[in-house]
Amino acid sequence: MAMAAVVAAGLTRWGVRKATWKELVQEAGKALFDSVENLDRKDVDALFVGAADPERFVFQAHTAPMVAEQLGLSPRTIMRTEMACASGQMAIKAAAAHVAAGVSEVALVMGVEKMNAAPMAESQTSMACVLDREWDGVQGGSAPPFFAMVAQRHMHEYGTTREQMAMVSQKNHHFSTTNPYAHFQKEFSIERILGSLVVAPPLTLLDCSGITDGAAAVLVTSPERARDFTDQAAYIKGFGQGVQGNNVTNLGDITKWPPLTMAAEEAYRTARIGPEDLDFAELHDCFTISEIIEYEAIGLCPRGEGGKYIEEGQSDMGGKVPCNTRGGLLGTGHPLGATGVGQAVEVLWQFQSKVPEERNVTGAEVALCHNLSGAANAHHITIYGRDA
Amino acid sequence: MVEKDCVPFILDFLPQEGPDDTRIHRFYDHLREGRLTTTRCSSCGEILWQPRVVCPHCNADTMEWIDLPKEGTIYAHTAMVLGAPLGFENDLPFVIAIVRLDMGDHGHMLLFTRVDDAKYEDLAIGDKLWFKTYDCGDGRVFFRFTATAPD
Ligand SMILES: [Zn+2]
Repeated sequence: MAMAAVVAAGLTRWGVRKATWKELVQEAGKALFDSVENLDRKDVDALFVGAADPERFVFQAHTAPMVAEQLGLSPRTIMRTEMACASGQMAIKAAAAHVAAGVSEVALVMGVEKMNAAPMAESQTSMACVLDREWDGVQGGSAPPFFAMVAQRHMHEYGTTREQMAMVSQKNHHFSTTNPYAHFQKEFSIERILGSLVVAPPLTLLDCSGITDGAAAVLVTSPERARDFTDQAAYIKGFGQGVQGNNVTNLGDITKWPPLTMAAEEAYRTARIGPEDLDFAELHDCFTISEIIEYEAIGLCPRGEGGKYIEEGQSDMGGKVPCNTRGGLLGTGHPLGATGVGQAVEVLWQFQSKVPEERNVTGAEVALCHNLSGAANAHHITIYGRDA
Repeated sequence: MVEKDCVPFILDFLPQEGPDDTRIHRFYDHLREGRLTTTRCSSCGEILWQPRVVCPHCNADTMEWIDLPKEGTIYAHTAMVLGAPLGFENDLPFVIAIVRLDMGDHGHMLLFTRVDDAKYEDLAIGDKLWFKTYDCGDGRVFFRFTATAPD
């Protein structure tokens, strides 16, 4: 039934790291290989590298062969996937498709981004070029102003409050204090979040995910081979993507994200589940308002009630669907290419009960991972199951 | 080609605007004439934003230029306060908006734009804004909107 399985994982500490991107790759690779007894690196026949923008962040192209070099791999299938903030999840999808097609038996996925290398204005420029440079970038646009306008409209149309947005940040920063790999290790009060520096009104610094260095690796193989490596895999049950161009104004109504609903419907259809079957979810909380709209667009709550959903604690432990138990992008940071892979690591470790008890969703059967890219007009979902 | 001394070519968000650079150079010529324009497909009649050379709906490659409304209303707005890209740091803080243009029989259109002559807190959803041609100071132009009504 499942098309592929995630069977092993490795993470680096995420943060402002005193290490190059290649050293982060080595750390994540070591952590993965150290965690699997029955894995010979000669058995890895495919390598998929998720990296969003190494050409700009560290002035390096052709990164996939360099990852092979760092890890001592001689893959017969090798490529890098780029989908901005969703590059890591795309690497997992590429790996799973190759495994399902019989092109690869054992594939390694490496997500990595080194964002703290250049001066900050250059890093901001590197991120802004995700937008359409000639029409949106030229106006001085980048992610924070776009999501600020999304927040303003959501408040305007549905009465969503700044306090509700701050609750997303508070929850995810709380979760990240349970995650030793996370960039941010501190709790923040609602007052502190609301009172932090204004980045783009109404959003403050603690509404925004961090600029982070990090790497994450997973091993992907067939459901048949999974047992060779682990007693408990995370089985890939379905995928969905939706896209509506790239221009900032393409969504029409920026409070509704139709490509995300399309992605979710496709993912639920291929996995033969519905939103009511989800036990936990990794949602792309690049900004607090994003997570609120994502509750709505993937069907966890009715349109306009995302603020109420967080306020009722439905996305916290003990709620309907705990979201971002590893700390999300807000708490762990957002090394673009590593983020989607880091989410998969959380799913595997949740199923294996390798995460601390206080954030372990015990008995969970089904999980959803979501990333968005660009001005929320491209969305990407993977559904995982405990059983094949 | 236009030389700009503040940032290297590859980090410059402003497009190259001349006939040797782009097939939609008339968009920029029109801005210099005080007109905000885009292309309409001569075959299927769809209004395309941004200007195109091939219609994504019917594959035709014959376009005509049409004028867009010179005033619109704020659909959403914010300001860039922290974290501007290279070349924009000296402008901080600056207002950014999505402007709603009434297109008559064609419904409405949204434009992403810089807004001059107002602070973030002076503006609200629904306020009127007016198109203006912005002189980039290096021979290039772009469009912006202003909160000040024209005379
Ligand atoms: Zn046409």
